Amino acid sequence: MKVTRRDLLVWSAGAAAGLMVTPVPWKLLDDSSIWSQNWPWIPQPMRGPVEVKQTCCSLCPNGCGMRVRMAAGWPVGVAGVSSHPISRGALCPLGFGAHQLNWHPQRLRTVRHRGIPSSWSQAQSAFTRACSEGPVVIIDGYPGRAPSSVFETFSQKRGAYRVAVGSESRALAPYESWGGVPSAALGYDLENAQTIVSFGAPLLDGWGTPGRFTRLWAERAAGMTDPQLRLIQLEASLSRTAARAWQWIPLRAGSDSALAAGVARVLLEERLVAARGPMPPLTVSDAAAQTGLTPDAIRDLARTMAARPPVVAIAADHNRAIAALNVVLGSAGARGGLVRRSKRAQPWISADPAIASVRAMLIDSSVPWDFAPQTDAEVFRFAAWDGGSSKADWLLPAPGFLEELTDVPTAPTSAIETFAVASSLVKAPPQVQNAAQFLCSLDSSLSTTEKIIHARCQELFRARKGTVIGQEATPLAKFTSVQKLEEQLWKGAVWVGEPSQPESLRCELKEWPAAVASSHPESWLTRWPEAVLPPLASKLYTESSLREMPEKGNA
Amino acid sequence: MSARYGMVIDLDRCTGCGSCMMACAAENNVPPLPQASARTGLTPMLVRKVSNGMEGVARREAFIPIMCMHCEHETPCVRVCPQQAVEVDKATGIVMQMPQRCLGCRYCMTACPYHARYFNWRDPAWPSGMEKSLNPGVAVRMRGVVEKCNMCHARLHSAKEKAAAAGRREIDPADYVPACVEACPTGAIRFGNLADKNDPASQEARSPDAFRLLARIGTEPKVYYKSKEAWVRALAESTSGPSSKGASEVQHG
Repeated sequence: MKVTRRDLLVWSAGAAAGLMVTPVPWKLLDDSSIWSQNWPWIPQPMRGPVEVKQTCCSLCPNGCGMRVRMAAGWPVGVAGVSSHPISRGALCPLGFGAHQLNWHPQRLRTVRHRGIPSSWSQAQSAFTRACSEGPVVIIDGYPGRAPSSVFETFSQKRGAYRVAVGSESRALAPYESWGGVPSAALGYDLENAQTIVSFGAPLLDGWGTPGRFTRLWAERAAGMTDPQLRLIQLEASLSRTAARAWQWIPLRAGSDSALAAGVARVLLEERLVAARGPMPPLTVSDAAAQTGLTPDAIRDLARTMAARPPVVAIAADHNRAIAALNVVLGSAGARGGLVRRSKRAQPWISADPAIASVRAMLIDSSVPWDFAPQTDAEVFRFAAWDGGSSKADWLLPAPGFLEELTDVPTAPTSAIETFAVASSLVKAPPQVQNAAQFLCSLDSSLSTTEKIIHARCQELFRARKGTVIGQEATPLAKFTSVQKLEEQLWKGAVWVGEPSQPESLRCELKEWPAAVASSHPESWLTRWPEAVLPPLASKLYTESSLREMPEKGNA
Repeated sequence: MSARYGMVIDLDRCTGCGSCMMACAAENNVPPLPQASARTGLTPMLVRKVSNGMEGVARREAFIPIMCMHCEHETPCVRVCPQQAVEVDKATGIVMQMPQRCLGCRYCMTACPYHARYFNWRDPAWPSGMEKSLNPGVAVRMRGVVEKCNMCHARLHSAKEKAAAAGRREIDPADYVPACVEACPTGAIRFGNLADKNDPASQEARSPDAFRLLARIGTEPKVYYKSKEAWVRALAESTSGPSSKGASEVQHG
């Protein structure tokens, strides 16, 4: 049979037409799409068994409850724990990207001595030599933990222990001198307050344990014309909190103390409260001149505050005038105000970056990078991420997120005592160790973090008070052994103490505190060391323009 | 019976914290690199700050999370896609984007009235080692394709698998909650089946304070918003979109 050119053309056209009604071209198109979207250099997720573990965040002292989804042993997602008594299922935005932090480009993985790679043995030799030559000061940014106990014990023998706490803890310091109660034992009873007056504190923007106040605000104030909880924001600019407050009163920056004095004067002059403190020397007119408000506006504010008690004033940072206003309001040691949550907390001494007469300074990884030592002492700084150009002779790599076992004591602003354990869910790189391990390796008489946590669990068990909140709430008295308590805590349960007794705080204020220029911390975002920001956060905030970003150091 | 999944976002509860953006990006393996501008970025959930345009004490601000509105009627992106890479899932009402079919023409981005679609301009990249933190339930998308919110479809799959393993045909609503809804600290985002009149989200969608963005164009979005503030509700019909910070500043593509 002869095949003509025409036959060939007909056959080709028929084959082409027939092919179109078969799945072959579509399957090929689909396969080529899939193939072209799976280049070897495109990262693929890890495969392996998926499990969910519950723990507490240890990135800041607020210790929010976290549910961590793990795949093949690595954390791949983070969510809040709704049963957590303080954070109540919420996390700060950065918490949702915290599982990426351990791979941050600025993660520290080697010991560095003045910028040059060094070793742990050399760092130990240098620190041992420094200890033998003079006193050593240890700076802790997250006091009350088991590692803090190691620091204190070591410092008792060789120097001093100091803390560098956040603005929320510093705001509680004035009550310590007036009431004789350590500021570490104080908290705000926000749940029972009817009026909250914030002097620039970012209550809805990361203040305290983020979930605690945002949940409270959402339940009792959000979108209500006459809310059960009145939030009054006194702040120069329209911040996120001011935008959502029941009332925003703009005042001149730095005039918080004058406004507090003016309001206290009106409260006392008009007998809106029982007299509980001295009359401020500042007149209402003077306060008006300093704040940029009218005298009537200050009087209205005082009447509004007195109209719906309990009322509590919250300072953004250390401010004695705002603390004195709380004393005048009767909020110090009252339901819905400042309460004493613990009888065990010890007073601490704040760290001075310009501390002199010490041979060496050891800074724990919990201390924020904005604590910049100005000293001639040899500085040993532990950090998981390189946060900047602050003076540090020795930069020592510390464990990152979920890489170390630690206990989680009560959050700084909480009205109730809590205790939890953040277990080590991820294996730390071999080159890292925390400051407590470092000290224990030098002094074998020190107790390890594990032993201290065990001792604290035994102490809780012996006291037989409070409730353990895990899958369900169980009174601690029902636990039959300390091992069962530890087992629950290791699985992410939280021990909650008994409700605080407000009357156990009594503040005596003999004279109105001298006015000092108030300082507001910058946004909560910039208080994080910039290198700590999860890369996703820096990307999203840059692309959405939702927040101002630090210029450098982001992935 | 088919579901019509949708959301109701109470803007009076939104504090603009950005938790929804973070949770969405982490859940859906959005790459942190390369960082881009507002014009070329990739933010399936984008929180915008808006104001009433006043200054001083009279100024008011609010935050509006914007994502795919999952339009139900004449879905613009579906109508223009030459590849059938976008479709409305009849069983759920979710507007699905299939990156394997997408050829990157970006017609859908042009057609979307909400600018809720994003183009992968670059190969997705993570800092070294960070690929271990990727969510195994969601595939990484390739350069050259469009993506958007799919209401955390991977979570729907998981809920279906769980229901099937338990011998149930219907999923437990508690098992299917998108990441943004789960993350919102004030409970401003409510998610549910709008076809079910007893569903709390469905009831909120019918409240007098509820509204939809650009409702006049008739695309019947399944994302509703709520606010008691008249100036916020007025923004919904603004021709320049709900952005006081310059609508043109946050255009994509």
